[in-house]
Amino acid sequence: MKRLVLLSAMLMVVLAVRAQSFIENAQINGSFQTDAQVYMEDDGIGITSESIDGKKFAVNGFGKVAYAYGNFSAGIRFEAFQPPLNGFREELKGAGLANFYASHDNGFIGITVGDFYDQFGNGLIFRTYEEWSLGMDNSLRGVRTVFRPIDGVILKGVYGRQRYYWAPYRDRDMTISDERGLVRGVDGEWDINQSIQSLNDAKFRVSIGGSFVSKQQEDQSMFYYIPKNVGSFAGRINLGYGRFTFSTEYAYKINDPSAINNYIYKEGQALLASLSYSQKGLGIVLQVKRIDNMSFKSMYTAQENDLDINFIPPINYTHTHSLPSMYTYSTQPNGEMGAQFQINYTIPKGTPLGGKYGTKLALNFSQVNDIIRDSINDNGMMVLNMPGTDGYKSSFFEASGHKFYRDINFEIDKKINKSWHVNAQYINLFYDMATIEGHVGMPDVEANIVALEATYKINTKNSLRLELQGLWEKINKNSDVDESEKKDYLKRGDWAFALLEYTFASRWFVSVADKYNYGNPFSEYRDHYYTGSIGFVKDATRVTLSAGRQSEGVVCVGGVCRVVPASSGFTLTVSTSF
Amino acid sequence: MKKLSLIFLLAVAALFVVSCDKVDDPLKPVDPVYPDDSTGVKTVLIKDFTGVRCPNCPGAAETVHQLQHLYGEDKVFIMSVHAGYLAQPAPTFPDFTTEEGTAWYGTSDSNPLFNVDHVDLASESLSVNEVDMPLSNALSEKQVFDIEIINNYDTATRKLTTKTNVKAVSEAEGNFYMTSCLIEDSIVGKQLTLTGSDTSYVHRNVFRKTLNGAYGVMFKEGYVYADEEYDRQYEISLDSEYNADQCYILSYVFDNNTKKIYQTAMTKVK
Repeated sequence: MKRLVLLSAMLMVVLAVRAQSFIENAQINGSFQTDAQVYMEDDGIGITSESIDGKKFAVNGFGKVAYAYGNFSAGIRFEAFQPPLNGFREELKGAGLANFYASHDNGFIGITVGDFYDQFGNGLIFRTYEEWSLGMDNSLRGVRTVFRPIDGVILKGVYGRQRYYWAPYRDRDMTISDERGLVRGVDGEWDINQSIQSLNDAKFRVSIGGSFVSKQQEDQSMFYYIPKNVGSFAGRINLGYGRFTFSTEYAYKINDPSAINNYIYKEGQALLASLSYSQKGLGIVLQVKRIDNMSFKSMYTAQENDLDINFIPPINYTHTHSLPSMYTYSTQPNGEMGAQFQINYTIPKGTPLGGKYGTKLALNFSQVNDIIRDSINDNGMMVLNMPGTDGYKSSFFEASGHKFYRDINFEIDKKINKSWHVNAQYINLFYDMATIEGHVGMPDVEANIVALEATYKINTKNSLRLELQGLWEKINKNSDVDESEKKDYLKRGDWAFALLEYTFASRWFVSVADKYNYGNPFSEYRDHYYTGSIGFVKDATRVTLSAGRQSEGVVCVGGVCRVVPASSGFTLTVSTSF
Repeated sequence: MKKLSLIFLLAVAALFVVSCDKVDDPLKPVDPVYPDDSTGVKTVLIKDFTGVRCPNCPGAAETVHQLQHLYGEDKVFIMSVHAGYLAQPAPTFPDFTTEEGTAWYGTSDSNPLFNVDHVDLASESLSVNEVDMPLSNALSEKQVFDIEIINNYDTATRKLTTKTNVKAVSEAEGNFYMTSCLIEDSIVGKQLTLTGSDTSYVHRNVFRKTLNGAYGVMFKEGYVYADEEYDRQYEISLDSEYNADQCYILSYVFDNNTKKIYQTAMTKVK
């Protein structure tokens, strides 16, 4: 008995010491964010008690904490959408532990169990990620292993089921609306220069990689044989020589009939290639891509961006100004072909045009077209994109004349002196609204946009920023449009935007802005969207309170978009991290 | 380490081998489930609420036509009702909208929508994937009425006299109405599809109008007993734009309290 007591006491001392060590030598970090909105009626922009439908207050919030001790790490994330903000999917409504994991990685081998995020190559056949501003989370719950047998070689394996809002993870008794499949994948990457010592510092650099991802799903279709296992593979290569870099990835997916591709059995293909050159003061990038039937979801009936296993990177300029970002391109997984060219040049300091601080110039061109689709012979009948067939045939190197998007923009950024900093941008935009937003029959957007920004630093703690933007669109102002279609024109026509922001005492800022749709084809939509904001920033804590109107628009991150309806009221955002 | 690498490679190879199912023949075999003999010739109407600017509608219509083929074209009728936002008139697109279709569509807000043996979307609204079960159930129901349509069409004057005879074959209680509809099949016109506009799309069984209002006329309130018969006769002039060779009269009997359709018949005008 005495021995048992002694043993227990010793064990407790050891545990206490270990526990102390687990706390004192650990790293803990976390972040929290709350976005809350109060919705109010506003007859001026058509927001009535019926359109609010009783939803006067909405909150999206999350808190996550990560713990690391030596080779061990673990974390949790709690989310609450009570109810979700306007524009977020109603399926998000609820609160709970959305994500948790534990991981051990000793540099040679690493294992993660729980919910995890990862990406193979560019993500053409596998990428799980979380994007708070979109309400998107396609994490895998399962096991992830990483194996590094020699320097420069990384092998990965993933296995699990994807998050689908708050649907429980279960294998049996699944309803039709929750028939998520299992996702399995492996990836290998070899950095040849890192593996071979004599090539460590070589001018010529090579790395190659390959991945294979498969989903296993249940066939619940009455009409079609849905493949139970859908495999996809991708190969990639990165080459570098001096200032040049070339990278490319090709992906292939076998027959994967789904609600997105209209249940066709055609194979999917994707190609992404990028060539870049950089030196001090000059950067040039050329990118091309072709996507053909590459929606890859772990549930074949899933719609929109739900349960995406893969990710199709956009190759378009990401606009940050308010007016051009109303027309942001959303990638088309059923087919698109695009190219982007970007050149950045800094006029050196001390030259007449460069001045004391240099002048930054940037030119960007990007265009995305549809792919060509020709009908095929299916058992003696010519069909095009018909369910239960191979759908269509498409020439790999030819683009259709149907243009989805084109953006030509030029930007000058100049620090004039210690007090003044100015930025100007011109944008010429083409946007196929019918395809990108699904507003069938809508005319294309062809717009010229100018954005001017000036910052005046009054002293080290106070500054003033002015932003002016104008958007001019070629649209018939006397459009003969049916009454029921008018709402699709809510953001069409000419716009003007102005913002004045004053930052004081380093930590506070206050701003007023107005966005005016003065050239809308319909007089009833020529509205002002005015907002006033006040905010406080200290270290990693930011608090912002805004009041006013929000115009209808889209929020896009990485080519994935969600529609934000017009609203009026107050918005409070609080975020902090440690 | 070599062992670990070998295990990893073997796992990868196994994954490759088992993880691809190529489907050579995607269509499942037709295995119709016809009603029992005791249920007689119960017929079912599927209303397809569609639109010329609805890119998902052609695929959904195809799916429902496969169902019709599966269960028998003599037992399942499809009527394409163009209604809703995506059916609204637009330049270069044909206008198939009707007052009756708009009434049946009601406050719905999308296309394609369907119902099975129901008058309007307020009484039943289904997505294309939900049609199968109600259709199978409806076909298994006991037959209550028989409908016979007799058409007399004068090619010269384009005048149509149509008579619908309703005969009860078993006892039932309800507030029974009958609606007669004019349908035109195989109209070639522009339709938006998932791959763009198809200017030579064949619109099947397009609802043109009713002969007696969106909610028909009453013929019996309360009990009907076997062998009770009722008939209604209508005379109309066929619009010059309609192809009489492709026109049909479709009549159905329904209970106005529940908006449930009991029986449907369809007969060519000529």
